[in-house]
Amino acid sequence: MAKKEQAAVAATAPAATGIVDNMDALLAKISEVRAAQQIFATYSQEQVDKIFRAAAMAANKQRIPLAKMAVEETGMGVVEDKVIKNHYAAEYIYNAYKNTKTCGVIEEDLSGGMKKIAEPIGVVAAVIPTTNPTSTAIFKTLISLKTRNGIIISPHPRAKKSTIAAAKVVLDAAVAAGAPAGIIGWIDIPSLEMTNELMRSADIILATGGPGMVKAAYSSGKPALGVGAGNTPAIIDDSADIVMAVNSIIHSKTFDNGMICASEQSVILLDKIYNKAKKEFVDRGCYILKPDETEKVRKTILINGSLNAKIVGQTAHTIASLAGVEVPETTKILIGEVESVDIEEEFAHEKLSPVLAMYRAKDFDDAVAKAERLIADGGYGHTSSLYVDTVTGQDKIAKFSETMKTCRILINTPSSQGGIGDLYNFRLAPSLTLGCGSWGGNSVSENVGVKHLLNVKTVAERRENMLWFRTPEKVYFKKGCMPVALAELKSVMHKKKAFIVTDSFLYKNGYVAPIEQKLDEMGIQHTCFYDVAPDPTLGCAMRGAEAMRSFEPDVIIALGGGSAMDAGKIMWVLYEHPDANFEDMAMDFMDIRKRVYEYPEMGTKAYFIAIPTSSGTGSEVTPFAIITDEKSGVKYPLADYQLLPNMAIVDTDNMMSQPKGLTSASGIDVLTHALEAYVSIMASDYTDGLALKAMKNVFDYLPSAYENGAKDPKARQKMADAACMAGMAFANAFLGLNHSMAHKLGAFHHLAHGLANAVLLTNVMRYNASETPTKMGTFPQYEYPHALARYAECARYCGFTGKTDEECFEKLLAGIEDLKKKVGVKESIQAYGVDEKYFLDTLDDMVEQAFNDQCTGANPRYPLMKEIKELYLKSYYGK
Amino acid sequence: MEFKELISSSEAVDVYKCGDKAVKLFKINRPKTNALYEALTHARVEDTGLNVPIIHEVSVIDGRWAITMDLIEGKTLEDVMKEDPANLEKYINDMVDLHLTVHSKVTPKLSKLKDKLARQINSLDTISDAVKYELLTRLESMPKHTKLCHGNFTPANIILNEKGTFIVDWAAARQGNASADVARTYLLFSLTNPEAAEMYMNAFCKKTNTSKKYVQEWLPIVAAAQLTEGKPEQRDFLMKWIDVVAYE
Repeated sequence: MAKKEQAAVAATAPAATGIVDNMDALLAKISEVRAAQQIFATYSQEQVDKIFRAAAMAANKQRIPLAKMAVEETGMGVVEDKVIKNHYAAEYIYNAYKNTKTCGVIEEDLSGGMKKIAEPIGVVAAVIPTTNPTSTAIFKTLISLKTRNGIIISPHPRAKKSTIAAAKVVLDAAVAAGAPAGIIGWIDIPSLEMTNELMRSADIILATGGPGMVKAAYSSGKPALGVGAGNTPAIIDDSADIVMAVNSIIHSKTFDNGMICASEQSVILLDKIYNKAKKEFVDRGCYILKPDETEKVRKTILINGSLNAKIVGQTAHTIASLAGVEVPETTKILIGEVESVDIEEEFAHEKLSPVLAMYRAKDFDDAVAKAERLIADGGYGHTSSLYVDTVTGQDKIAKFSETMKTCRILINTPSSQGGIGDLYNFRLAPSLTLGCGSWGGNSVSENVGVKHLLNVKTVAERRENMLWFRTPEKVYFKKGCMPVALAELKSVMHKKKAFIVTDSFLYKNGYVAPIEQKLDEMGIQHTCFYDVAPDPTLGCAMRGAEAMRSFEPDVIIALGGGSAMDAGKIMWVLYEHPDANFEDMAMDFMDIRKRVYEYPEMGTKAYFIAIPTSSGTGSEVTPFAIITDEKSGVKYPLADYQLLPNMAIVDTDNMMSQPKGLTSASGIDVLTHALEAYVSIMASDYTDGLALKAMKNVFDYLPSAYENGAKDPKARQKMADAACMAGMAFANAFLGLNHSMAHKLGAFHHLAHGLANAVLLTNVMRYNASETPTKMGTFPQYEYPHALARYAECARYCGFTGKTDEECFEKLLAGIEDLKKKVGVKESIQAYGVDEKYFLDTLDDMVEQAFNDQCTGANPRYPLMKEIKELYLKSYYGK
Repeated sequence: MEFKELISSSEAVDVYKCGDKAVKLFKINRPKTNALYEALTHARVEDTGLNVPIIHEVSVIDGRWAITMDLIEGKTLEDVMKEDPANLEKYINDMVDLHLTVHSKVTPKLSKLKDKLARQINSLDTISDAVKYELLTRLESMPKHTKLCHGNFTPANIILNEKGTFIVDWAAARQGNASADVARTYLLFSLTNPEAAEMYMNAFCKKTNTSKKYVQEWLPIVAAAQLTEGKPEQRDFLMKWIDVVAYE
């Protein structure tokens, strides 16, 4: 017997190589296929498509002999149905993939700089089951050819002759069409040892078979596309077309004597239509087993919980005879009316034969619960089926889809033919290998196709991000401009109610009066909230927002320094969106466009006008605001373009009597804004101009503004412009490490913000200017560390010239130190009276928080924490 | 040494009573590896602290390999079950508890049960290559455990006396999967007493919260292993258990 079989196989094996019946022969075969695949990998799409077509044609022509051979060898199934399967595997697979690009560049996006290139995987190990020995072989060899892979088949010993014959048909046609000889191989005399070796040696495994084989595939250490057991339940809802439903199930369940893994194993009928459906089954030639017959069949189909090999793929009549039950020879399906969906019930199992369990469900929910349990019994991830009126039953379809842990959910479809795709639905990919997802222990949850046999390389060219320049829609400036600008509220915008936010100092000293006067003139109602303190609190903002809610303004006017403008922005948020969560809003981002939290749309209730009274923060044109939760002490730095004021009014009349200290501190703050925005990794030509002009104004006019105050209105004007221009620059290019560190000096040691920036500035600049930084900032347009050159550009523009960048830079640093002296800024943190011990005690916390500050990300040099620490120490001692 | 009383006899050995010792004499044609391997296996089980007879000597007596160990006197559980059939369920329960005690032991130096089962299946020439392939695939997919398995855990190998309950005959002991060991016991029961077999399976599954299906997965494998004993009267029964397929 064995000898005869060997001889028969030998006749079908390729002449060039020997029979694979031992480990050495297998290893030789693997080498041979691997060598052939290396040649195949160089083929063009045109060559591959020609081979794919020829192979599909050849398999198609042999569909009847192969079907006959499979039934003869395995003693299972129906020749005519296997013909369909072979036909399907050749024709449908060819049709589905004939135009699919599988070689070289398969996708290209020129503007995005992205290209996808398909490469073969290498050698595929294919395990072929006894139930579909020829069609699965055709399927797997065809998709391997289409993807330029080699393939070696491990047939089941019970079906090796027909599986090998199918593979040979495909191989011969492929080679005749130009494929390398030996691109398809197989094990002639299979053993578990060789199958395991093949799986270990291959590059990917297409394992179809029982759970043992699938498990072996997954434990081989190679990527595996395995498929698992099905236990398809079919529900017939009372809204379904009963005749169509019953006949679809019969059509599917009898197909190849029930050996398709997606085939229905149980039918669940709703009580209302139970009798009608049952009668239709009987009328169409199915046999309902009587109770004693049911018991006999039970004991025949399963042995110790496993499927009796003798019933697989047999006719209903044969199985009935084995059980000692007499049924007409033409009986289509044996149906057991059973109640339990527990695994202990033999009928609840996968039966791979025309034996069907029939359940009665009291309603749709009961039916779904039963189906869910049957899936859990042994069909996780495979297929489930529902017959329902799709017009009235969409809710039921939704419930069913949600509940079933199956990767294919078929509606009004015979599941054998439906699950394999492209026969009853043309969007479900045709395949004879059906992924069952993680539920079935699989790596794929869809029908396996050519895409699973490709390695796709993505070629990504460096691209720069889209950048932006965002600023309030209106920025008005020049001494005396405020009343003119406010006139628009009436003439253009027809506003009715204005809400003014300011601090008590400005209010008491009459700064609000000109605004109120103008509003009165225009007949715009107004009210004023003047309770804003420095470092505004959430409580203050909430009170303001509360007042806004009762007053219902359609315009908000924030007048003051950074505190009043920031408080105004927060009140605006709370007024428009009372439920806003500050913790979410304050979440740091790496890229403001990709942040997790999406800010609510602003401006639906009120227009926002910011009017600065100091030349510093630039808050009138920035999307930033800082608010402190006084209860927890937490500072929330908010940043989003939704916080950008709609109008900024920079009128020097509001700034004339700034005290000297404020003039110098906020003046140095402006310089820091301009310098940091200029060396930021996000700096652009659009922000550079603003930053340069702003810093030059500071160098040129700050000393006089400081010395002469209101006596030099031009200097005041130039400083006001500088603050606003620097604000626009950093509103778009952002800041850097200097600000990160200054924020923490303010938080821990209450150093005024401008002074905190000032004592750090030249140290941080020298740190940033390194041509060999430990790490540089990450942004596509920041190509290499170039802060030194950028600082030198600043220097030259501001009049600090020299032969080299280094010389200019040194002069710039000296110029800054000189300026600081002129405007009374001290040399070190220590000089501002910060206690040394307390400073050193808090240093590590400050370092970590400064590192984590939102501003750090835009710094040209990505800082290490120990470097921040050194900078703090240097700035503390003024060395 | 005088062998007064033949206690039992099989194809491989004769066991004699010799004072307070039992002497297992291997048949003359048996390879010495049988005796030495059994003694080693047994000695390793002794190390677990289970109630088992202690081996005192391995020797050659009149040209036959012999293992001398404590004689455990008393009734076997098999006898007790026969005498008191009304309490079968209780005895089965006790037996499962005892089995679980065995399984609680770890003997890392013992050979692997899966290796033995694979060897037994491969040695069969009475089943087709296709069936062998399926059995080996099934066996390989089973989890690899390291529990002490007796390999012949039947009531006849459990002896009760005033000192306690003793388990004898450790020749087939291996480390492996408890459910495989239980499947073997279930099979041996099924050959003689199917009702006891069901009780045994149910009690084990209940006590260990093991699904019956999982134990049943082993049945075709242990049935094939049993086939190696070549008992014609068991063949049809075993073949029925073996001829199953895993779903696809």
